Amino acid sequence: MSKTVTPWLDNLLQEIEGIEIRRKDSRRVRIDIAADSLPTLLELLRGRAGYVHLSAITCVDWIDESQFELVYQLWSYESQSLVSAHIRIAREPGVYVSVFDLYQPAAFFERDIHEMFGVYFEGSPDMSKFILTEWNGPPPMRKEFDSEAWVNETFEWKDYQPDWLKEITEQGGGIVKTPEETRQKNP
Amino acid sequence: MRPENYQAISHPPSNEYELNFGPNHPGIEGNYALKVKLHGDVVVAARADGGYLHRGFEKLMEGRLWIQNIALVPRICVPDPVPMEVCYSMAVETLNDMEVPERAQWLRVLQLELSRIAAHLFTFGGHAATTGMYTTMYWGVADRDLILDLFEEWTGGRVYHIYNIPGGVRRDIPEGFLDRVSHTMDYIESRLPDYDNLFFTNQVFVDRAKDTGPMNQQQALEWGVTGPNLRATGLAFDVRRDDPYLVYDQIDFEIPTEAPGDAWARTLVRRQELMQSIHIVRQIVEKLPSVGGPVRTPIPNPLAWNVPAGETYTRVESSKGELGYYVVSDGSDKPYRVHIRGPSSMHAVRVLEQLSLGARLEDVAQIMFSLDACPPEVDR
Repeated sequence: MSKTVTPWLDNLLQEIEGIEIRRKDSRRVRIDIAADSLPTLLELLRGRAGYVHLSAITCVDWIDESQFELVYQLWSYESQSLVSAHIRIAREPGVYVSVFDLYQPAAFFERDIHEMFGVYFEGSPDMSKFILTEWNGPPPMRKEFDSEAWVNETFEWKDYQPDWLKEITEQGGGIVKTPEETRQKNP
Repeated sequence: MRPENYQAISHPPSNEYELNFGPNHPGIEGNYALKVKLHGDVVVAARADGGYLHRGFEKLMEGRLWIQNIALVPRICVPDPVPMEVCYSMAVETLNDMEVPERAQWLRVLQLELSRIAAHLFTFGGHAATTGMYTTMYWGVADRDLILDLFEEWTGGRVYHIYNIPGGVRRDIPEGFLDRVSHTMDYIESRLPDYDNLFFTNQVFVDRAKDTGPMNQQQALEWGVTGPNLRATGLAFDVRRDDPYLVYDQIDFEIPTEAPGDAWARTLVRRQELMQSIHIVRQIVEKLPSVGGPVRTPIPNPLAWNVPAGETYTRVESSKGELGYYVVSDGSDKPYRVHIRGPSSMHAVRVLEQLSLGARLEDVAQIMFSLDACPPEVDR
């Protein structure tokens, strides 16, 4: 097989509305597609072109555009090429369909994205918490979640001045800078 | 109550009970848990439970400079940290459209292979311990230490080297270092017959590992299995050969495979991979003196380094399988998004759950070690 998506598949994919195919190099193809058409695309890629390995699903939070980008990395063991399929979904309500019926590894990634970004995948086998079992706050990987602000709200800064540190501080050393002070020095 | 009115409360007859396997358990790699339901000593249901090692690397990286993240990434997988550094550096280089000097590429491959040998020795030790052979564990850890000694001399760090940076590597090898690498490789190779006698051909191990946690190639592909675990089902796929990076296309090595797909086959594949890695290291030792030039491309002031906007997905073959980094830049001095695809996010969750079904309790630890799962990669 050739090292790229085969020409007839190219023609077939062109039929899908709103598709944009870009070749990055001989082994990397980027496909931008409307969210509604993604399951069709994956079905074609898996069933007709041998892209049987789902390497990863990544969520990117484009907060300024009020969108989530979902990136599906698909690898073909036969043609030895990687297709990355990019879709955009609305940030609210942040719901998309699962591709678990096509790719079983999706179960882990979808569960992870639900936990970290709050995107719900309909039809995914398990949307329960996995990593942040005892976390009740907002999904932390969203851009509006500021870890440092959360720490400042939740915990208190305590003065840590043991005698041995005082001596060092008097000599001009020690660990006495708060994050704010560090930041002012290196804007 | 009159005796004739007494009715015993009846429960449906059941011999099932639940057991928490981990998060603190000598049979689990790192802090990770498997909640198993048992009937007698046979597992009838298993559910992986992670999060004990979650340090929020992906979020932390969004708040740090491109160069600062180099100090973070090796901490994601302790037994095999080098692929993390190389993969992240490769992603930043791709975004910058930056060339890496040839000598730096060879040095990176040398590091990757030494790290692979160290990780495999560690895994043999862990796997042997789950079958009661603690001597192999002591040997594995002791021999791995010789490679850590090399790393210490070379980079200053035994485990976290922080050596591969975008643009190349931090420094060249010390004088006479390649001789010491050769010496260590000769020593480790001379030890392998002892390992064979003690562990790989040991009837206790063979009986315990054969037909334990078997998966066929079809299942492996469906579950997204990669690396030695996939090769143990007979599919010769290796990112180093099939999606080459650095100078792997100039190196001669074979991809060992085994057909049965059980714990025994997975360990045997690693045993052969270890030999291949020694073979690769020897080629590099021979080649490196003839490759001159700098070891890194100069980068702009790293404290004010704006990486051009774009996205990239880079992959390397770690000792556990396919490791991927998806990195997005919005043109600022910090990554907009970094996603780490650790091979263990498949092996330690769905694959482990599936392979544990029907296994006996004493084999669960062995299945996990034979998959070489690395929980910090899952939790990140």
